[in-house]
Amino acid sequence: MKRIFRLPFSRDRMRRDVDTELNFHLEGRIEELVAQGMSRADADAEARRRFGDRANVEAEVEQIDLSTHKRRALRERVDDVRLDVTFALRQLRKSPGFTVVAVVTLALGIGANSAIFSVVNGVLLKPLPYEHSDRIVTINEGAGGDSWNAITFGDYASWKARQTSFEVLGATSGSGPLTLTGVGDPTPISTSRASANYWRAVHIAPARGRYFTDAEDRPGATPAVVVSYAFWQNRLSADPAVVGRSLMLNGTERVVVGVASPDYILYPPAEKIWIPLATPDSKDVDHTDHELSVYGLLKPGMPIERGRSEIAALQRDIAGQFKDAGVASQVRVQSLTDTIIGPQRALVLTLLGAVAIVLLIVCANVANLLIARAAVRRGEIAIRAALGASLARIVAQLLVESLLLGLAGGVLGIGVAAAGVRFLVSSPMSVPRLQDVHMDGAVLAFAFALSTGCAIVFGLLPAVRAARLDLQQTLRDGGRESRGAVRERSRAMLVIGELCLTQVLVIAAGLLIRSAILLQSVSPGFATDNLLVTNIVLPGARYTTDDARETAYQRIGDAVSAVPGVRAVGRTLIAPIHGGGWNCQAWHEGADRNDPSAVSSDVRSADPTFFSAIGAPLLLGRAFTRADVAGGPRVVIVNQTLARKLFGNANPIGRHMGSCMFGADDKPVWLEVVGVSGDMRANGFANEVPSQLYVPTPQFVNGYNAYVIRGTVPVATLLPAIRQAVATVDPALALSAVSTMDDAIGRTLALPRFTMWLLSLLGAIGLILALVGVYGVISYIVTQRTREVGIRIALGANVAGIQWMLVRQGLALGVAGIALGSAVSLIAMRYLQSLIYGVTAHDPLTFGGVALLLIAVAAAASWIPARRATRIDPLAALRAN
Amino acid sequence: MDDLDLIRGTLDLFILKTLTWGPMHGLAILRWIEQITESRLQIEEGALYPALHRMEQKGWLEGEWGVTDGNRRAKYYKLTARGRKHFSARLSLWERYTQAAAMVFSAKGATA
Repeated sequence: MKRIFRLPFSRDRMRRDVDTELNFHLEGRIEELVAQGMSRADADAEARRRFGDRANVEAEVEQIDLSTHKRRALRERVDDVRLDVTFALRQLRKSPGFTVVAVVTLALGIGANSAIFSVVNGVLLKPLPYEHSDRIVTINEGAGGDSWNAITFGDYASWKARQTSFEVLGATSGSGPLTLTGVGDPTPISTSRASANYWRAVHIAPARGRYFTDAEDRPGATPAVVVSYAFWQNRLSADPAVVGRSLMLNGTERVVVGVASPDYILYPPAEKIWIPLATPDSKDVDHTDHELSVYGLLKPGMPIERGRSEIAALQRDIAGQFKDAGVASQVRVQSLTDTIIGPQRALVLTLLGAVAIVLLIVCANVANLLIARAAVRRGEIAIRAALGASLARIVAQLLVESLLLGLAGGVLGIGVAAAGVRFLVSSPMSVPRLQDVHMDGAVLAFAFALSTGCAIVFGLLPAVRAARLDLQQTLRDGGRESRGAVRERSRAMLVIGELCLTQVLVIAAGLLIRSAILLQSVSPGFATDNLLVTNIVLPGARYTTDDARETAYQRIGDAVSAVPGVRAVGRTLIAPIHGGGWNCQAWHEGADRNDPSAVSSDVRSADPTFFSAIGAPLLLGRAFTRADVAGGPRVVIVNQTLARKLFGNANPIGRHMGSCMFGADDKPVWLEVVGVSGDMRANGFANEVPSQLYVPTPQFVNGYNAYVIRGTVPVATLLPAIRQAVATVDPALALSAVSTMDDAIGRTLALPRFTMWLLSLLGAIGLILALVGVYGVISYIVTQRTREVGIRIALGANVAGIQWMLVRQGLALGVAGIALGSAVSLIAMRYLQSLIYGVTAHDPLTFGGVALLLIAVAAAASWIPARRATRIDPLAALRAN
Repeated sequence: MDDLDLIRGTLDLFILKTLTWGPMHGLAILRWIEQITESRLQIEEGALYPALHRMEQKGWLEGEWGVTDGNRRAKYYKLTARGRKHFSARLSLWERYTQAAAMVFSAKGATA
């Protein structure tokens, strides 16, 4: 049975009760015995004898009563909570609109936050998988301004010989893909050259076998290869006897010595191989060829600053020794983490900031909803308080309601987060380690901490406020608001804060939308339609001379041109959009590479049909011809940008210039400018057009070339025929990186577009929430003012005037929020600078447009409830009180 | 005759049975048992109270303070619905046990 009224528990009273009960027994017995004729003293003794050890009994009974009390108290507390939960659930069910809005807003905020947090956790916070990640550094040489270059063999060799701060210095070098034959069709495999020390610096225990030994890392050693885990799994079917197996790569047999750890992925792709760097000693004095990525493993306890200053000092020394070779005097030594994560930090932090803003807006909104709800429920709360519910019980009741909302939002938010993580991982963000990101325990904890934290923050304030009401006043008012002004002010502050945050968010989205549109409208400088790009690598083992390579490339070009449906074929070193060519200085006649007027340029090759095939205009002069042969006069075509930088407005045709082109005596040769081409985007869309120069393919032969192929029919359908045509020249050759130009452009735009979409989505969520917030405040004011409005209308006030009065209040909130938001954005958007293109961080158009948008939202959100106010029947409004 | 020590666990059953007649205080319960058994059982009276309080904790009994005819405060115990159910269950168990015990003790000899 449930006791309705019980005196509060006290240990003293419990003891007294036990005492009374036992005394009653003894006295009853004594009276009984006296009545039977015993003397008082005998009766007393007899009763005590029959009773036994009274002190013992008393202690035992008290013990039992105490535990009874404890159990009952616990049960009642559980009952209270159950009651609170049941009651809260009933209350929430009674106002489904409020519940759904609150839970969905919370779920969106918590979900988006957890998803982004998963990414930040997996990409930024989780340490790299290498054994001594915190001691690994990367080293670059200055290339002027903010650009950094790879390391020359000579610099690397002298650092290695003289440094003392590092356990080891290791190096890798890019290599064209090697073509794997004998395992299925000939396939190009992404390849790096790595020194034995590289594996010691950037080390994880191999999955199978070992990494390179010093003996293997020497010219003339038995050719060895280390394969990536993914390569072993996919290409070699996880062959358990892989160590010792021979692979035919570019016609050379190489023995697999090990399989790298599955975690061993510095840069994509996952399927790749490493061959020894095996630098010939002759290279150790080469201070011009920037080819090496250098990794250092600091000695234990050695601060990175020491390593940095030591390498800097060594490099200044080298630069002093080789003044004429153009050796860089600046070096950059940074931690591996900074190297890998650095470029994406701005993006990830922007996303994190954006979702944090959304979560703040969410919390403000739910707090707003709860304050409004507490106002509506003043009557109910006052009655409960009058019936004797304590302040603590009422606050607990309201808190349970908030907690339920928070938890429901949290649970739903985890669903949103799981979907969000899947979306982010499958996105084209080229963020390292993104592929490994998944929801984990930390993220779940984060989501629940957020949801309960939010619930307490937005639940406690209105709960305490609602429970502290002046009871008599409230009951006398019939539950109507009598302190409306205070309440309105705090809600107004919340809405202004919300609008301010929304302004910041939408401006960020606006800037990204503007830059995405600008990027889209950038002209690539050539015709992109129906254009196929593919690379072909010629194995050095079989194509040993420049002549053999150039001949093969020309024959391939001729064969592909003959394919029906192919309209034009051109060849270059690296196709536009697909990345930079060789980075060399270019200087005009009479100067040299160290001349202040020398221009850092992007050097590529072009065959006679390249410019016509790709559809880039030749503004002056001529294209190359088949007469521009290896031994012939050295000629060059410059792009507009380089022509302007080197020759100003003068006609450059027939003038001479120098670059990293050498004659038979290894001395730089002068190149005659024979043409000026239009500017083409070289490396994606967002990067400025570099100064470019093109030299004839026979005068700049490489082991890899790119073909641009334009079709008269959809060019992707020609691919089988193109492969056949290539096979007629050499059946062991493979086409690599096959893609249409439109797809390649799409890929370079994917990241900015994705960022834009994500921020637009968050901005839209912010806008909707702000709309709900403003709407809530204004419709609350309208409800509170029903009587006043009724009187005004009864007195003949202008309906439009009343509407305007209410809308004006909403607009005032809007203007305050926007002013604050714009001020914050002026500072905050500076952090966005690296992510936007073509607009400044304070783009007035975006700021103005977003301000107008938010004003419109505030106006709309106030107009809807304002219209309702003017439909009030004055009689009903007056009678309602 | 020798006093019979109360067999362990049966005190609870006696109390429950006694209270089926209506709410009583501790002394009245004892008196009732003495009367029915013609004082053949020797109960250590003090043991009654821990038993009562324990059964109160279990929810079989409910204690309530009242006033006797002699105008004195006494704690009356009342059987709850749960207590009644528990008693009938234990009683049938007890009956089956005593019957079985009686069969054993009254056996004349082995028949097999």
